[in-house]
Amino acid sequence: MNNSFYSNTVINQPDVQKAIHPSLNLNFNRAWFNELQQRINQNGPWDQWSMYQLALEAKQATLINSFDELLCLRSLPGFEPMQHQLDTAKRVLHEMGGRAILADEVGLGKTIEAGLILKEYIVRGLVKKALILVPASLVLQWVRELNTKFGIQAVAQRKSHSWGYDIVVASLDTAKREPHRETVLATDYDLIIIDEAHKLKNKKTTNYQFAVQLSKKYCLLLTATPIQNDLDELFNLISLLKPGQLGAQGEFNSNYVVDKRLPKNEDQLQDVLSSIMIRNRRGDGGIHFTKRIVRNINLQLSPEEQSLYDAVTNFVQQQARQDGIDISSILSLVTLQREVCSSRDAVFLTLVNMFKKTSEDSPLRPKIWELVECIRAITSNTKAEKALEIIEQCNDKVILFTEYRATQEYLLQFFSKHNIAAVPYRGGMNRGKKDWMMDLFRGKARVLIATEAGGEGINLQFCNNMINFDLPWNPMRVEQRIGRVHRLGQTQDVNIFNLCTVNTIEEHILHLLHEKINLFELVIGELDHIIERIEASNGSIEQQLAKAILRGADPHTLTNEINSIGEVFTSYQQEKNLR
Amino acid sequence: MRSTASVRCSHPTSRRKTYDRGVVMNTKQIYRYVQRYLDATQCTILDKSPHHIKVKLSPEADRELTNRPYYWSFIDRLNETPETMSFLFIFDEEKYKQLADTQALQEQQETIVAADKALERTLGIVAKPIMRVPQEILHFGSNRLQQLFQSTERNGSYVCLYEEPQQRALHPYASRPYTAWLAINYIVEFSCDRKREELHSLGISLVTGHCVENFHERLQNIRLSPRIPPNVHIAKNGISHNKALSIAEAHLERKLKGYSYDWAVEAQSRLAEELARLDSFYAPLLQQAEEEQKQEIAALQEKRKEEIRWQYEPRVTASVINCGIFHLDGID
Repeated sequence: MNNSFYSNTVINQPDVQKAIHPSLNLNFNRAWFNELQQRINQNGPWDQWSMYQLALEAKQATLINSFDELLCLRSLPGFEPMQHQLDTAKRVLHEMGGRAILADEVGLGKTIEAGLILKEYIVRGLVKKALILVPASLVLQWVRELNTKFGIQAVAQRKSHSWGYDIVVASLDTAKREPHRETVLATDYDLIIIDEAHKLKNKKTTNYQFAVQLSKKYCLLLTATPIQNDLDELFNLISLLKPGQLGAQGEFNSNYVVDKRLPKNEDQLQDVLSSIMIRNRRGDGGIHFTKRIVRNINLQLSPEEQSLYDAVTNFVQQQARQDGIDISSILSLVTLQREVCSSRDAVFLTLVNMFKKTSEDSPLRPKIWELVECIRAITSNTKAEKALEIIEQCNDKVILFTEYRATQEYLLQFFSKHNIAAVPYRGGMNRGKKDWMMDLFRGKARVLIATEAGGEGINLQFCNNMINFDLPWNPMRVEQRIGRVHRLGQTQDVNIFNLCTVNTIEEHILHLLHEKINLFELVIGELDHIIERIEASNGSIEQQLAKAILRGADPHTLTNEINSIGEVFTSYQQEKNLR
Repeated sequence: MRSTASVRCSHPTSRRKTYDRGVVMNTKQIYRYVQRYLDATQCTILDKSPHHIKVKLSPEADRELTNRPYYWSFIDRLNETPETMSFLFIFDEEKYKQLADTQALQEQQETIVAADKALERTLGIVAKPIMRVPQEILHFGSNRLQQLFQSTERNGSYVCLYEEPQQRALHPYASRPYTAWLAINYIVEFSCDRKREELHSLGISLVTGHCVENFHERLQNIRLSPRIPPNVHIAKNGISHNKALSIAEAHLERKLKGYSYDWAVEAQSRLAEELARLDSFYAPLLQQAEEEQKQEIAALQEKRKEEIRWQYEPRVTASVINCGIFHLDGID
């Protein structure tokens, strides 16, 4: 090119703004022009014509044509979200300005909704830097899901330098601690997602204090446990997203609150809430679940087991009557009874610990030791044998839940003795091990033995048989267990086996959960509400049950006591039907 | 420039018809695109069918696509011959599988060859290690295609080209006049908490200052070369590059002034509403707070305000995807 055609003086052009509307400027970016002039002056280097064309075609293909189309779907050919998930994503993107509480019931795919929203913002170039805060046990699952389902290159936070990546998944507990805290708080995030956000409902916790300090453009809070029952907590959560949406604290109290748990102007409150919170329920139309087939298997304890159970029950009753006893000791005493129903290993461990804790001259010591002696007589586990039978019969993958670590260990041994490949899963495992166990279960292992701590957040749609080796007392936790296998994506009907020893407290608990609450067959959307209502008056459901058990020394009184707890459920459902 | 509306068609191989995904590039178009990219970067095609391309990357493409800066800095420093990576790009997974199955027999024989080689190695005959060829499915939205897009953006920004004459000059001394054009491909972003984009391809004649739209479309029908053809002379520029720039910007400005900005007005009223809401939330807090807490609360309030502005403030930005000087036949 002949230079003389062009002027040699390069004047760097600064970016300019031109008004195109009374309140809007058009910004011209001019860095390109200065670069072009430079190249003209030096006659190059010039790029290829074909590259130039390809670059423009790439832009045409990825152009964002409209404000409110869901563009991310075209980038996700193999992925078919459910209608309610799409609707939720659209509402958050188009009506809520990208700040919302996603409060679907367990198993409806809050993660998918959050993933869709994140992906859409990324595709539109509105989000580059995102932070996803989740419980430690869910970090890898989130990373995997974002990568495989959404093609989002998310990174699990492991080292300090991980914060430099664009999309980081980290545990809230790590992020809020130094030295991470400083890095995280110094970053402006285009989007922050907080999973299990009910952990943020108390204003005084370090979690909350940390969350308030975060700097963000868009924000999604995910929680399955509703917060509508405690209005203060609701207020706190919303103040993270949109301070003032419910008015200042004072206005909120006078407008909506009669009592801590009793709202007034409920319709109006619901109205305001619906502008910031989306809650899909299983009962809503269009969401299809497979059936739950529940079998309660009643088992007679062996004479040895029964005599241990009786001995422990006696001991518990005596202890409970003797001292002016506090509720936490009641709970641990009743736990003994529950443990006998699970395995001798479980109760043994607790008794030994109890023995160690009591002083050497305590009259308790010989009594405890007597019980330990009783354990020696037991040679087999009635439930374990039944479980084995079920597993052998169904000839498919089975997930077995137990409350106790010792039972878990025992079952691992027991199954391996019978040539059944079983792997454990529990809350205390580190992420890598949990992942490994999941992979084993997906692959060779037949049985996954999970303790309660492992119950949250793991997805096991590929398995449709579940054994409740023992039952938690809190219906919510039972529902969470079931939710692991009975969720969207489950194609088979789900078989639930409840192992229940007759003439023990287990029988009563199962009666409450199954007959009274109808927990296993009905999918109760408002379970969480009901439980909060029960707990509002008399302490946690576990505590109420423990007290009932101690009061009801004979089976008949106990049945009455437990029925009265069940009444709350029945009346709630009646109320609902009336509405 | 092809209008985006005309290329909007659904995925031909997709069996899913549940909802319109608005796919803008179908499998065939992606195939063509990748092939042109590989050609432009001088990669070696090892094997191909309508459903796949097996390719050994050129050093240039390897640097762009494989994300191995350490390897390349090592090669550069030691002046070694690089061993570039090979890829198997699959465009239609199902059809490729069918194809691969029919070729399975052939590949079995190849494994025997590989086994022979393994034997040779144990006998001390060292062959070059067999490089594993990663397989990738390139669909719209896949990370690899995204990477290709970004690579073209980096490497197709500034061009200087000449139109090739339709026919040879009749007379050796005859000379055709050419006009230099400044081509600018603008991308205009309209954004608040949501976003929309538009492409504007402008061409400004440096002879007359005349500005035309859809300039890229016009270029598509012309054969272009980086070299000035013989028997051609370039007309004297009547206007400076700076002048051309202001003509282009004025043109775009005039055009955008005619748009509706309801979305921006809405965003601004949302913003004002949110800011007022923040004040109503923090005012009583500030009133009740102790002196030493006040600063902290005020800082938090300011932070929240910043976030809201960041979220809702409407913006319109014109940036340039690429640009160039095009010397075209004739004076206009």
